Formats: sequence, C-alpha cells, structure tokens
Amino acid sequence: MSNSPIADLSYRHYDGPLTGVSKRWWSIAKMTMQVATKRRGFWGWSLFSAWWFFILLAIFWFADNVLGNITGQASGANLFLKQIVWKDQFLHGYSFSQLILMIITLMIGVGSIANDNRANALLVYLSKPCSRFDYVFGKWLGIFILISLVSFVPMMIFWLYGFMSFQQYGFWSSAPWLPIKLAAMSMCSGALHASVGLAISSMFNQGRLAGATYAGIYFISNIFTKVVGGFYVFSVRRTGQTGSVLKQFFYASIDGIQIGLSKVFLGTEGSLILPFMAPPPRNGRQLTTAEIIVGSPSAAWILPVFLVVVVGGFAIAYSRIKAVEVVG
Amino acid sequence: MNPNVALVSINNLTVRYGAFTALDDFSCQIEEGCTGLLGPNGAGKTTLLKTLLGFITPTSGGGNVLGLDLYNGNKEIRQKIGLMPEQDCHIPGLTAVGFVAYAGELAGMPADQALRRAHEVLEYCGLGEARYRNVETYSTGMKQRIKLAQAMIHGPKLLLLDEPTNGLDPKGREEMLDLIKDISHNKGVNVLISSHLLPDIERVCDRVVVVLRGKLVSQGTIRDLKRIEGQPLDVDLRESNESFLTSLRAKGAQAAPTTYTTVRVQVAGTREHAMNTILQSAKESGAQVRGVKLAERSLEEAFLTAVQA
Repeated sequence: MSNSPIADLSYRHYDGPLTGVSKRWWSIAKMTMQVATKRRGFWGWSLFSAWWFFILLAIFWFADNVLGNITGQASGANLFLKQIVWKDQFLHGYSFSQLILMIITLMIGVGSIANDNRANALLVYLSKPCSRFDYVFGKWLGIFILISLVSFVPMMIFWLYGFMSFQQYGFWSSAPWLPIKLAAMSMCSGALHASVGLAISSMFNQGRLAGATYAGIYFISNIFTKVVGGFYVFSVRRTGQTGSVLKQFFYASIDGIQIGLSKVFLGTEGSLILPFMAPPPRNGRQLTTAEIIVGSPSAAWILPVFLVVVVGGFAIAYSRIKAVEVVG
Repeated sequence: MNPNVALVSINNLTVRYGAFTALDDFSCQIEEGCTGLLGPNGAGKTTLLKTLLGFITPTSGGGNVLGLDLYNGNKEIRQKIGLMPEQDCHIPGLTAVGFVAYAGELAGMPADQALRRAHEVLEYCGLGEARYRNVETYSTGMKQRIKLAQAMIHGPKLLLLDEPTNGLDPKGREEMLDLIKDISHNKGVNVLISSHLLPDIERVCDRVVVVLRGKLVSQGTIRDLKRIEGQPLDVDLRESNESFLTSLRAKGAQAAPTTYTTVRVQVAGTREHAMNTILQSAKESGAQVRGVKLAERSLEEAFLTAVQA
C-alpha cells in the first residue's frame, strides 16, 4: 500500500450517467456468471457433463460409417440405427449429466449467498439501489442461465449431428419439436438447481457447509428414490400393475424431478440405454420395458412438485435476506 | 458549499420496533458540509441511518433526503447516497478494482465508466498499488479504505460513514480522518458520520446532531455547542497571580482560575470593555498576560452537558 495520498488531487466528482434504479438484478446475474466462468473447474465439469453424448456420438458414427460399410447396408437400412428411439437418447444423456450438474451447482451456486453472508456482502448490495428481490433474483438468474446452458449445449450439439446424419432413420420426423422440449428440460434443471441451491445457501454463513448440505440432500434423496424404484420394479414383475404410487415417489429427488419432467416433456416411458443392453430372459420370458425401468410419472404429480420446489426454494432464499441488518 | 441548505430534513419522525420506540417524534435538519451524529449506544443513531436508507418504514412523521421523500424514494435515495458500513464487508472472489467497479454498476454506472472510476477512487483512497489484490487478503486499514471507495464510486451527494475509524491503529486513524476531511471540505461531498469517538467528530465535522433515547438533544455547529453562556474569556498568564484575580473582582468581573496559569474571566458589557478591564487589572497587579481567547468547553463536556440536561 502506498503512503496515504491524502492530498491526491486526482479525485473528481462523478457527474456521468446513472441508469434508473430498476433491473439491478441483471448486474447481479452478470457478475454471478462472470465469477463462475472465471473458474477453470466450471469449464472442465461442463465439458465432462456431456460425456454420454460423446459416447453416443462415437457409437452412432461407428454404426453409421464403419458398420454400414462392413455389412454393406444401404443408407437407411442399418438395423442397429433403425432400432434407436432418438428422443430416449437425449433422456439418457440428460440423466447421466445430472450428477455433474449437481457438482457444477455446488461450485457456482450453493456458496453464492452463504459466502456473501460470511463477507457481509449484503451491506454492499443493499446499500446500493438494489432490493432484496434484485439480489435473490439476480443470483438465481445467473445460476439458472449457466446450468441451463451447460445442460442444453451438449444436447443441441448431439441434435445437430442427428439432424444432419440420421434423417432417414426418423430423427426429425419422430420428434419435430425436440429442440424446444430439450430447451424446456434444460431450463427445468437450471431453475431447480438455482432454487434449491440458493435456498440452502441462504441458511449458512459458510459456502462449504451449504455445499455439504446440498450434496447430502442430493445423495440421500437419490438413494431413497432408487430403493423406491427397486420396490416398484419388483412389484411390477410380481403383479403386472404399473400404476403404483411408488412410481411417483421414484421421482421425489433432485435428479428424479428433472428426469420425471423430461419424460413428461419428451412423451416417453423411457427405454434401455442401448438396444443390446437388455437383461437376459427370466423363467424363459423376456422382460418388458416396464419390468426393467420405471416409466414416466404423472404430469399432474411431477409438475406441481417441480413448481413447489422452485418457488419454495426462491421464497426461502428471499425470506432469509434481511435489509434491516445492513446498518448496525 | 452552502451550509444553510438542508440535505436531510426529518419532521416528527417516530419509529417503533414493537413496543420499543427507537425514534420518538424526532425532528432535525442536516445541512451541507460534514455533520457528526452523536449519541450513546441505543440512542437511535442506527435507526436514523436505517430510516434514511429506506430500510425501515416510520410509524409516523416523515421527511426527505436530498429532496426525495422518505416513504417513496428508497432506491432513488440509495442511488444518491454512499454508505460506508461499520462492519467489514466485501464481495467474495473479487479483486479490489473488480469489487469497487461492481459497486458502481450496482449504483447504476455504465460498466466501462465504473471500471475507469474505480481506478481513480482506489488511487484516491490510497489503494492504487493494491488494486489487483483480492480484497480478502487486505489488512483492516485497507478494508476500511475500500469500504470508503465503494461508497463514493458513484459520486454520491451524501456519504454516510458508520464508525469510519473502527479498528484502525493511530496512524491509520489519522489517515482516514484526513481522507474524510479532504472529501468533505475540499471535494464538495457532504458527509454524515455516526461515531462514538468525540475527538474524531471534533476533528472533521462542522456540525453535530446529538441523539439520546430517540430524541434530538442538540444540533448545530461544533463551535456553538462548545460555546459557554455569557461568552467568558480565558486569560493565559505567565505565572499565577492572586492580585490579578483580586483586581478583576474589584472591577465587578467574575474571575476564577481554570489551570495554574489560566484565568476564566467574565465581564458584563461589550467584548472591548472586557478586554480593557483585563488589561487594566493586569497593569495594576503586574501580571504578564500571554494571550486572551474566547473560552469554550471541550466537545466531550458539551456532549455530556447536552446529554445530562
């Protein structure tokens, strides 16, 4: 630090423009994104979140170009590609990216308010023309945009590849609204992670504690729903009934809500990851898809759950911000 | 600056927290210049600052800050005010220049101007060489300065400084007070300082507002507050002289020693008459007068008198 330039005459009064006092949330959202994208980890994990799409790209490229050439199948006659349910490939890629999305949220979002609490940053925000809403919504929006993009970009790259290469296998005709549905799925991920992350963040003064809590809730709810899913599949195999309430509870986790919503948006019950991955027959009978995986939840169940979690999370974060603590 | 223009005008303001009345029918005017907000703990200073910033809705009464109504202009008021809070505060993960520029953007400055201005303000506050360091690595003195920098980035008309010398060592305190004095007296920024430290207030402020139990006890210039009724004079002698006192009393003056060589003298009539009486008594008694000045109390005495009254 230099000696105090008490007599420094370089100071001038600022008489430049000041914008109106609305939309401060956009400045906060921009800064949230700026701080997050400066971290190398963010880019590394974002790339890694697309790992299943990279594998799919390799498999389909191999099946289309190498297998097709070896077997001499004409274009559009590749038996492997003909079995592919294209929209389900997006569901699988999206499902596999869930854990990584949670890790990215831990990195960029869950410490967001907690670290501000530790550093008394609210004193800075709220002494400026920012409201509590500006602050919470700005943080929420920054996380929402980043998570949505991290989820959406790999899916769109895969979609572009499919659109250019597999028209003859019904890629476009089987799901013409796919890009919009993919955008909706990505935004659901962004909204869910942003709301839950901020709600937890607002309860702590240490980013690490908030992160540990978020990860704990994520894993515990996941384990719970996986056990529920096991009971459900077992019950379907025994009774043949697929309408059990257990099916709905299979989606009662952070991952589950997103995957359930994506099944509703895509209009699919889900399928095996790849056609050749079917389990062996039991008692001489090939298991049906419903006996292997948990089907789509009811939209009337999963949509309200999603909305309650997103709006509730935001409301919790908002209620934890107290402007009167700014002075004193 | 025109010291008669009211920046803040508070009229019969009452603020209650449940059954507790923090400000009770409080009225005051804060004029241009540097004003100190004085009062013991729990007097209502903090509540007054919160109300000015629009964080508390008054129970009754009203007022305006920089011409904006307290009830309707919360965000507009905060855009024209800069607050330097008492506690350490920063935005995690940012360098000093990033932090101050961001504070400017939050206040409504365009990003490019905020960045340019952040460099200027940090230079002014003595953090020019440390501007690219993460704020979390700063010392207490540097954190105080950066709080001031973020408060003045957008060129506020009024700076609210809450205990600005808190936690500073003597050198840091001197530098901070010099900085505040320069801002308020040379740069045309109006300053309202809330502090318990009377010497700090006395050094940088022109005016004070004294608050006690939510009520205004006294307000005015520091000079007026320190002035003693009857305007006595302090006569500084070379050495103690009893016959000087006797001579003064014989001429109808009130005279009493305040220190070994200083006598406080009060004479009815004009200042010229008083001087003549003093000089004549000195001549008669052979006392050697070294100086005469208008007697005044210390700010501490004035504060205690106002509070006890």
